[in-house]
Amino acid sequence: MATSRPIFAPLSRLAASSIAVARYTTPQSALLPLQSIRCAATKSSGKKKKKGRNTFIQYDLRKADQFSLVDAMHYIRAFEVGRNPHSSKYEVHVRLRSLKNGPVVRNRLRLPHPVKTDVRICVICPPDSKHATEARAAGATLVGEDEIFNQVKEGIVEFDRCICHPDSLQNLNKAGLGRILGPKGLMPSTKMGTVVPNVGAAVRNMVGGSEYREKLGVIRMAIGQLAFTPEEMQTNVKAFMETLKKDIAQMSDRITKEIHEVVLSSTNSPGFTLNGEFRGPDSISPKELSGPM
Amino acid sequence: MVNIVKRMRKLRELLWIRVGPGALLLPKEVSKITLEFNKHINGGHRGARKFWREMLPRIKYRNPSVPISVMRHSNDSGPAKLCIYTKSASAPNPSQSSISTPPSATPNPRNTATPDTTAPAFTIDMKMIPESQILEELIEKTGATIIEPSEQELQEMKDIADFKVRSEGDRVQVREHLMKQRREEELLRLARGEITATA
Repeated sequence: MATSRPIFAPLSRLAASSIAVARYTTPQSALLPLQSIRCAATKSSGKKKKKGRNTFIQYDLRKADQFSLVDAMHYIRAFEVGRNPHSSKYEVHVRLRSLKNGPVVRNRLRLPHPVKTDVRICVICPPDSKHATEARAAGATLVGEDEIFNQVKEGIVEFDRCICHPDSLQNLNKAGLGRILGPKGLMPSTKMGTVVPNVGAAVRNMVGGSEYREKLGVIRMAIGQLAFTPEEMQTNVKAFMETLKKDIAQMSDRITKEIHEVVLSSTNSPGFTLNGEFRGPDSISPKELSGPM
Repeated sequence: MVNIVKRMRKLRELLWIRVGPGALLLPKEVSKITLEFNKHINGGHRGARKFWREMLPRIKYRNPSVPISVMRHSNDSGPAKLCIYTKSASAPNPSQSSISTPPSATPNPRNTATPDTTAPAFTIDMKMIPESQILEELIEKTGATIIEPSEQELQEMKDIADFKVRSEGDRVQVREHLMKQRREEELLRLARGEITATA
């Protein structure tokens, strides 16, 4: 204590003059050494409640470098060289002009070229009904009732999604699978939208379906496998943007949202702002980007 | 989303992928390049890994239609090889060259059923040699043409280098300022008796 005083002498002299009046106002602070009062006083006076903003900070895109789809893919493929083409994915990020506290965009769609196709789906419905054939046709891997229950009870859970038909719901509940499926998040329930009468359509939506939602004004979604050709990517991006625009139009009575920026990136590459064109004046032929990595 | 300034700076520095060692045009005969080396640098696999990280993106950028694949094993004494396959070595494949639109790269039974088993035209042993030497050997064996950076690109590269030097200086300055501030705060707290002096 004693050693640090002389160092602070000039500093305290500076601060003292302005706050000296308020020094002995509270009895508690009077007990503390002089310097602490000064500091406490400066701190409390400097603290002001900041007024929050309810929009995201927007920036001007006119100065930004923008790329056509082919150019962006040209760079991304160079960045992803030597990576496993099955683990790296193209991602699209859409920046929106919207309120921080407003409703968010959230939906699911089926891309024309699905990114992930190996989802195993289990459908619980009477095995010989017409729903079962529908589900099988749509791409379900497991269809049935009692056999599935027995399998699950033995601990064999070989599926990632589970859908149930309302007719079989009673049997499902009777079988008491909640303890096994529940923690895995596979137990069908009406609340989750996994108990549906139209099983075929639900399965079709799940196979290759992908979900997106707005977080902090940005929507991010995997949009393609690394090995996609520019044309495939174009149809995927177009399909995604159209559904997104439809979603926004649906919300237009409550809130206005606008698309500000669309960025294409991948697992190991920087983000490229797209300018909405397929290919620029001096980009390479899309054919060169269609081969294997 | 990443801050726009950060993103744009990254994009301005994209120049590194266009010019520099490895910016070369491979002759038309080269049909495929494969690399095989260890996951770790132990056992002389350092150069191979550096080559992949630094020069392969440039080669891929300049030759987007040449498939390049990297296989990595976890055996220190395993091989570190760079294989170059050429079209003349394999039997000419008329179906690939005559179709106006090339087959889709998406894995499907049509293009994954036939594995390529032709022997490589050239093989470079990358063990224990630095990445620059690997590149030299690659150029020598394939006869690739090096793309020289233009005057404008050289100027841009210089600008970026200058900027980096300046930012390093700024960083030191800011850090000094910050440390000074923190030291003062610490001393103030010490003077107030909130913490006891240990030194």
